[in-house]
Amino acid sequence: MNEEEIIASAKTGDRKAMALLVKSYEKTIYNFAFKICRDPERAENIMQETFLSMVKSLNQFDGNSKLSTWLYRIVANHCLMEVRKNKHQFVSTDDNEDGFYENNFAGDWNLEPQNILENNELKKILDDAITKLSPDYRIVFLLRDVQGLSTEETGEITELSVPAVKSRLHRARAFLRKELNEAFKR
Amino acid sequence: MNENNVTCKEVMSHICDSLGEELDSPKCVAIKNHLDECPDCRQYFNSVEKTIEFYKLYNLEFNPDAHNRLMNILGLED
Repeated sequence: MNEEEIIASAKTGDRKAMALLVKSYEKTIYNFAFKICRDPERAENIMQETFLSMVKSLNQFDGNSKLSTWLYRIVANHCLMEVRKNKHQFVSTDDNEDGFYENNFAGDWNLEPQNILENNELKKILDDAITKLSPDYRIVFLLRDVQGLSTEETGEITELSVPAVKSRLHRARAFLRKELNEAFKR
Repeated sequence: MNENNVTCKEVMSHICDSLGEELDSPKCVAIKNHLDECPDCRQYFNSVEKTIEFYKLYNLEFNPDAHNRLMNILGLED
């Protein structure tokens, strides 16, 4: 069965089909939630909320977009609600644009990304940097750059125009790069 | 536009948009040419690419217990 057929079966109450859909997306949704909230336990809660919403509302899924896009919209909303509880810790992304750039490239960028899983110090640097970024910007960066969605899909999920997605993406990338550069100097 | 008019600041403000995008517009061709000649901008470009790669590869292992708890909550246990 292809995904369209599995969705149709799940809509009729076929539990096996619903379980197949959950299994297809649980890892993706869990890791996306983790990348937003940076906490394994909260990520699991968000994943559970997301799939509860999916099971409850699958009949409303009209198939005009991909199921993954629909799920990303649900998980993004759950993440935003969760992450905004800690709103005080974010930096303003409305700062003067010059603040995102620097001419000093003193940071050590020789670290290899593929070694990330064995490098707890690097993980902490990445966690610290992205948690300073406003969640609205974080979600755009994660959808577009990390999950590899198109600018249009990212706009559809976040209800932003294409220019707004590009602008947020541009600022998020610059902010994170600057934060990592600062950390790599230490 | 004349590629000789592309400045480092201009490259830095547009380079992020060009990452992962089509690079065939005159502006982006000028930026690519500038990158070939400007070590600072090239270093900036590489570090933005590396930033994205770090976050792409930073994933958690999905615990089978988390799967079981999820299926249990959803009433979809085997």
